[in-house]
Amino acid sequence: MSSLTSEIRFRLRALFARGVMERELDAELRFHVDRETEKLVRQGVPPAEAQRQARVAFGGIDRIKDDARDQRGVQFLDHLAQDIRYAARGLRNRPAFTAGIVLTLGLGIGANAAIFGVVDRVLFRAPPLLRDQATAHRPYRVRVEAIGEQRSDRNFSFPLYLDLRRHLTDVFSDVAAFQTRRLAVGDGAEARELSVTVVSANYFNFFDAVPAIGRFFTADEDSVPQGVPVVVLSYGLWQSQFGGRNVVGERLRVDRTLRTIVGVAPRDFVGMSDQGAPAAFIPITSYAFALRGAGYPARYGWTWLETVVRRRPGVSVEAATRALKAVFFTNWRAMEAEDPGWGSPEDARLDAILAPVQLGRGPQAGASARVASWVGGVSFIVLLIACANVANLMLARAVSRRREIAMRLALGVSRGRLVRQLFTESLLLAVAGGVVGLLVVQWGGATIGALFLPSEATGSVVTDGRTLAFAAMATVTAAVLTGLVPAWNAGKDDVVSALKASEREGGDRRMRLRRGLLVFEASLSVLLLVGAGLFVRSLNNARGMRLGYDSERVLMAEVNLRGLRLEGPQALALMREFLATAQSAPSVTHAAMAASTPFWSNEGRGLWVPGVDSISTLGRFILQIATPDYFATMGTRVLRGRPFNKDDRSGAPPVMVVSEGMARRLWPGADALGQCVRLNAPAAPCSTVIGIAEDARMRMFSDDREFTYYVPAAQFEEQNAGTLLMRVNGVAAAQVPALRTRLQALLPAPAYVSITPLARLVDPNYRAWKFGATMFVAFGGLALTLAAIGLYTLIAYDVAQRTREMSVRIALGAHRGDVVRMVIASGLGLVGGGIVIGLAAAAWLAPMMSSLMFRVGPRDPLIFGGVGVSLLVVGVIATAWPAVRASRVDPAEVLRGE
Amino acid sequence: MTERLDLPQGTLDLLILKALSLGPMHGWAISERLHQVSRATLTIPQGSLYPALHRLERRGWIEAEWGESDNNRKAKYYELTRAGRAQLADETAAWARLTRAVELVLDMG
Repeated sequence: MSSLTSEIRFRLRALFARGVMERELDAELRFHVDRETEKLVRQGVPPAEAQRQARVAFGGIDRIKDDARDQRGVQFLDHLAQDIRYAARGLRNRPAFTAGIVLTLGLGIGANAAIFGVVDRVLFRAPPLLRDQATAHRPYRVRVEAIGEQRSDRNFSFPLYLDLRRHLTDVFSDVAAFQTRRLAVGDGAEARELSVTVVSANYFNFFDAVPAIGRFFTADEDSVPQGVPVVVLSYGLWQSQFGGRNVVGERLRVDRTLRTIVGVAPRDFVGMSDQGAPAAFIPITSYAFALRGAGYPARYGWTWLETVVRRRPGVSVEAATRALKAVFFTNWRAMEAEDPGWGSPEDARLDAILAPVQLGRGPQAGASARVASWVGGVSFIVLLIACANVANLMLARAVSRRREIAMRLALGVSRGRLVRQLFTESLLLAVAGGVVGLLVVQWGGATIGALFLPSEATGSVVTDGRTLAFAAMATVTAAVLTGLVPAWNAGKDDVVSALKASEREGGDRRMRLRRGLLVFEASLSVLLLVGAGLFVRSLNNARGMRLGYDSERVLMAEVNLRGLRLEGPQALALMREFLATAQSAPSVTHAAMAASTPFWSNEGRGLWVPGVDSISTLGRFILQIATPDYFATMGTRVLRGRPFNKDDRSGAPPVMVVSEGMARRLWPGADALGQCVRLNAPAAPCSTVIGIAEDARMRMFSDDREFTYYVPAAQFEEQNAGTLLMRVNGVAAAQVPALRTRLQALLPAPAYVSITPLARLVDPNYRAWKFGATMFVAFGGLALTLAAIGLYTLIAYDVAQRTREMSVRIALGAHRGDVVRMVIASGLGLVGGGIVIGLAAAAWLAPMMSSLMFRVGPRDPLIFGGVGVSLLVVGVIATAWPAVRASRVDPAEVLRGE
Repeated sequence: MTERLDLPQGTLDLLILKALSLGPMHGWAISERLHQVSRATLTIPQGSLYPALHRLERRGWIEAEWGESDNNRKAKYYELTRAGRAQLADETAAWARLTRAVELVLDMG
């Protein structure tokens, strides 16, 4: 056996078989003494005396045991245990200091872990069970629209999906398509609207998923054109609706089709969704066929399928992207051949992007994803501040422990050991902070998640291994950051001078360090508060902006006929009856039928205006087809001219209302009223502009080139005005159940009506700002509090150290007011430094966030000024108390006391 | 009675290895052997043997095993390993060189 392995074996035994080794040592030594005693007895010594002599000859048994233990080579661990006990005792003796540090660290670590949970979900985490996420991608098609803006799509038409599958077999081993829809599941009274994912059969191949029971559907069941009406249930639906019994072979109506259940997906399976698990999975072909008939495989205009691809091993992302782009071109040419209106792929300047599967990391990352990365940075800053604060407190403590430390050095404790001991203390504090942090996560994580993530996606954050791992990492970081500075400082101390010095003296170097830390904290607080100001103003501006309608008071009702086929006149009659019933409801003040709904669905048609060329490059024009009460229902103001009314009926001269922006864009410098607009075809009859309405936000929250025009349903495609809008008294959401009952009564089974408050469609637009504002305000406030505490302790400590100097000043005739001013000035000097640095950093960083701001400049002087002033105020408050205390010293007493 | 000598630093290991080269034995036996062979000239505090034994064991020069002693008690027996044997040879040679050198110097004049 080599000496190395014997050494390792010996140490391992020493480490893990401590008890055994101790017992063996005992037995071995006892054996020796016994044998010695026996020998002496044999020589004629009386037993008692023999035992005594044997013990003496042996030597001090405890020291020998100690020496033997030292030979085991694991003193390090013994020392560690000692250090931990020592540190714990020290911390217990200073409960306020300990509690302060643990809380500070807890908040810092907790905030970080909670935010990490959110950022992780948005940016980093792949869908559960997805196999090898490095080779799974979402393809995006990029094109330049007529309006001149670049746009990326991840929703493809069925023919494009087929082309991807057919022509890219050498770069992609698999291409799957999916789309999640809200569909009615079940029959009759049990029918509920649930999310259902429409998927291609190979979708399941992307995941390490084994059906809980039964099977997933096969390619044969998803064959063009109509597939087989089958359904795979989610685990959740299987448990809640079917009690987990063997349901394979049973029937379930999904949307309009009665389907056979073939299997149940495993428990954690959500597919590609970032919104939690859908209720069921159905084949694309059977759904598309039921919805659009046999013609759907050739419909280029129906872009509704998201895709996910599996890159072949050895094919680079660049090569795959090039191949993808080529297929986009071929597909576009085929589409152009069918309908020249699409223009050429060259004009569309087609391009391809192969992005990671997380939407937050693709070209369509929403504002929320971008805000999340900023907030992640922010929470890290908060951790830095917390650490700076803790280091500050530790430094202050190190000064008061200087003599204790010097004494221990003088008594022969090695410097390495001493540094290790101080570091152990930091580690202990950080661990305690980490525990508090987890409590913060438990409580705060859910709140943050609810605020920010889509409702279905929130889960328990604490049970999440990644978040726990992150919290552990944050803890270690905190320990290193807070422990290194004081430990390093202690290691440098000169024993003799420290022992000779009184506590008052020395520590200048530490004081400089502490001041530096404080300036650092103050500047970080400034940075966060500026961010908070920017987000709060953005949110206020957004909330304050008029959308062009009153979203709070309007409900939207949609009818789902579930395959019930109504002929044209029948459907029209039903819609009219619907409208009349709504209008007669007591809570409804106005009601109208419309084709477009804000942030939900928008219509568009070709427009021709005499004297204006290529209108489509001037902006996005959204068509609203509505019944006469539309403007009163939505609260959209007609600024000039008139809204349409009952007299603008079929057969009467066609009329149109345009938005203010559209009037300005199409007829600059001229009066829009009375102008002629042709709809759908260059030779269509003139629709005369009779009114100009305020601008309304229909598709984008802020887009200066988005315009709306309105035509009476009686004169234009009345069958498309299928959404019922109702303006109600009181809280809109509260009226939903009564109205649903009322309207549902009109519908033949299995059709049903769903009612949604308009506010719910509009609100997600505020989410990014709301999240940013809440997080920055919370973290900015936290940072400010921490900085104020740091400032207070520093100044209080400083004052305590300088009591003698103050007394001398007062004894020599300084006014107490001067002393107060002097102390406050010293504090404000630090804060001032922080403000200058912080504002400079903010001025440099904020412009990078400007795309997330809403109608506020990144260097808004009001915000910058306000933050500076509030920090000064906080600085005065934090220093006032120690300053007053300093001025109250009794010089006689202090000076005598020396 | 002859004058007793304190053991020079570092030689205890060598003596233990030498004693064990004659065969496995337990701690007390080693102590007795050293005492007898040196004709009671060397004072080895009996207890100090044990940290040394543990050190040698950790280095892999000796191995320990529990066995029965002559009066049927459990005792921990130490035995020289191959590495221990080599170490003993090295140290013996080094010791011989050292003592010869010291003698030469002392014989100078």
